[in-house]
Amino acid sequence: MRTFPTAIRAAFASAVLVTGFLPAMRAQSHDDDIQALREQIRQLDQKLRVLERKQEIKDEDAAAAAKATPKITINDKGFTLASADGANAIKLRGLVQLDSRLFFNDGGLVNNAFVIRRARIITEGTFAKNYSFQLVPEFGGSSVSLVDANLGVALDQALQFKFGRFKSPVGLELLQSDSWTFFNERSIVTNLVPNRDLGVQASGEVWGGTVNYAAGVFGGVADGASTTNADFDNEKDVVARVFAAPFRSAAGSPLQGLSLGVSGSLGREKTASGRTAGYKTDGQQTFFTYAATTIADGQSWRVSPQADYRYGPLGVLGEYVLSTVNVRPSATGAKAELQNRAWQLAVGYVLTGENSSYAGVVPKTTFDFANGTWGAFEIVGRYSNLRIDDAAFPLYASISTNADEATAFGLGLNWYLSKAVRFSFDYYRTRFGFAPGAPAVSTAPVLRQDEQAFITRFQVAF
Amino acid sequence: MKIKTLLCSALALAAGAVASAKSIELLNVSYDPTRELYQDYNAAFARYWKGRTGDDVVIKQSHGGSGKQARSVIDGLQADVVTLALAGDVDALAGIAKLIPVDWQKRLPNNSAPYTSTIVFLVRKGNPKGIKDWDDLVKSGVSVITPNPKTSGGARWNYLAAWGYALRKFNGDEAQVKQFIGALYQNVPVLDSGARGSTTTFVQRGIGDVFISWENEAFLALKEFGEGSFEIVVPSLSILAEPTVAWVDKVVKKKGTEIVARAYLEYLYSDEGQEIAGRNYYRPRSPQVAAKYAAQFSTVNLITIDEVFGGWAKAQKVHFADGGVFDQLYLKH
Repeated sequence: MRTFPTAIRAAFASAVLVTGFLPAMRAQSHDDDIQALREQIRQLDQKLRVLERKQEIKDEDAAAAAKATPKITINDKGFTLASADGANAIKLRGLVQLDSRLFFNDGGLVNNAFVIRRARIITEGTFAKNYSFQLVPEFGGSSVSLVDANLGVALDQALQFKFGRFKSPVGLELLQSDSWTFFNERSIVTNLVPNRDLGVQASGEVWGGTVNYAAGVFGGVADGASTTNADFDNEKDVVARVFAAPFRSAAGSPLQGLSLGVSGSLGREKTASGRTAGYKTDGQQTFFTYAATTIADGQSWRVSPQADYRYGPLGVLGEYVLSTVNVRPSATGAKAELQNRAWQLAVGYVLTGENSSYAGVVPKTTFDFANGTWGAFEIVGRYSNLRIDDAAFPLYASISTNADEATAFGLGLNWYLSKAVRFSFDYYRTRFGFAPGAPAVSTAPVLRQDEQAFITRFQVAF
Repeated sequence: MKIKTLLCSALALAAGAVASAKSIELLNVSYDPTRELYQDYNAAFARYWKGRTGDDVVIKQSHGGSGKQARSVIDGLQADVVTLALAGDVDALAGIAKLIPVDWQKRLPNNSAPYTSTIVFLVRKGNPKGIKDWDDLVKSGVSVITPNPKTSGGARWNYLAAWGYALRKFNGDEAQVKQFIGALYQNVPVLDSGARGSTTTFVQRGIGDVFISWENEAFLALKEFGEGSFEIVVPSLSILAEPTVAWVDKVVKKKGTEIVARAYLEYLYSDEGQEIAGRNYYRPRSPQVAAKYAAQFSTVNLITIDEVFGGWAKAQKVHFADGGVFDQLYLKH
């Protein structure tokens, strides 16, 4: 058994030990804590750095993958599948135009109708950057047809070649896309220029894009006509066009948007059948056609000075066409050279302030009823005239069933719901003139009164 | 007479113009850490070629993980020459795409490997984790940086060096070797696609305790970032790494660059080429140049791919093919 003094001694010794070593133990524990905390912080810092680095690697991999990944673009210009370097691409576009046609004061002569004016699936492609193709079938109208089918070789901005079927480079308004003309129907001037033809064309932009040119050799088609994919004679047309925007680089100048040009065609025709299916009014009614027995035989040529002007919301388009053709009333009849002329002046103004453009209006807002945005509105006006050579009557065309002149004016409103969607509301009035000696009342019912048509169109074009 | 002289002079001038110096462009598709080596070498070769032929040659470089680079060439990258991390990647050009003949390694000395290297450890100054050998890399709490063997040639050398060490340590017991390698890769927090990416991870981003690195890349890190920041640790056993080179027959024939592409690789074996390799911390093949640079390299106990793994083709198939040993071990974790 321990004695009391011994117990006291032990307690005393313990007290001395505890009081002597406790601060040292506390300090040691404190250092350990700090060390542990430092290690914890180091580990957390490493974890954070690893996470950041993993994200960095992920971003680098994503960027590298993006460079090698084919691109899919879907926007209001169509659907595009392109290789990573952009050298190869397939583009799918479309155009659908649904019309309603309403005719006034014609005694019910012409049917008021709904029409699928155009319905096209446009396939375009580029291969190895410089080679391209375009294929445009038409499902609108009364039959399926091929509108465009051509191949392109681009050597340079200044020199590109196109082979196949495409628009012959003569008419200014005809060369404009069907989707973005001021009016839903082109003017009567278009009757005198060739439409789609088969041939080969060189074109390009020179002098910094201030001048563009096109020149080609084509099978040759009649006024307003398209090729049937077969050349109807052994002769060819040479077609050329120069169009310049001399002030294009003069930023801020009122003349910056002025373009002037001239185009023409020269060829020989020798056809076994009628020269043309007929010239049509804005309301798409035929007001002139050559006699069924009339054939083209000899030189034909066209010349067309043309101008386009854009200044902010204002757009103006004007062109004149003189078309000359040598015809015979039959294979053995007397030959005559006929000269038909047409001109137009069209004006548009975008009420909502967007820029007018040959390639359409891009509205600042898209029509969205819920959000109260309305797209863009444009008012348009046009005056045009087409005059047939009086010498055409009566030998080459019937004087009693044809007009020899059409004068048309139109007023319209375009509503751009988005870049791709447009409503247009156009009123057309066409007055007819007749050759000397024509009967007081034309035997063609549609020519007995002015044509008054109200044509609306709902269009999607991308 | 005067006219005749003038005409002859004009013709001579025209002929001279036609025969004047050509400008040739080559593309060298290489692996990650050779950027600096080939910057030096390209300038030297351009001088040499100009002096020999009068032609200007411009060599463009492309760098990335060796396996990835080989894949790019197979997929159409128009490489005149490839200078890759290992023969297995160059073999792929012969096997899959038939861009080069199968016996391409016989076309140049030393099996088309004009310089060698090995695998070492780069640790932080003071070696805080006390890394001395491969055993230390599998310890808990040690963070190891190495690239992905699926895309990086250097990473494959790293993996095989570790495997060779473990094989010796465990007397060929494959189960234990696999456990060792699995534990090592469990300590790897980030797998970069190439060696240069791993250098960035370790050196610039401050991640990890040890970086398994090409010897030349480790020296470069010391040179670039100062010896005050890092130290090189040489393990007890490593592997003889033999980066290989080849001209790409299909491409050079198409481009008409066969002669210059071949000369470009042959010149790597010249005194100047070997000198540049040594200067950039690659081990030269030339005994004279190797002797000159011997002091900068440690003596390492080296295994070779042929003696331990039966060559690249076998090593590739067993370890790095999809579903191979590396996939089994890494995906398990």
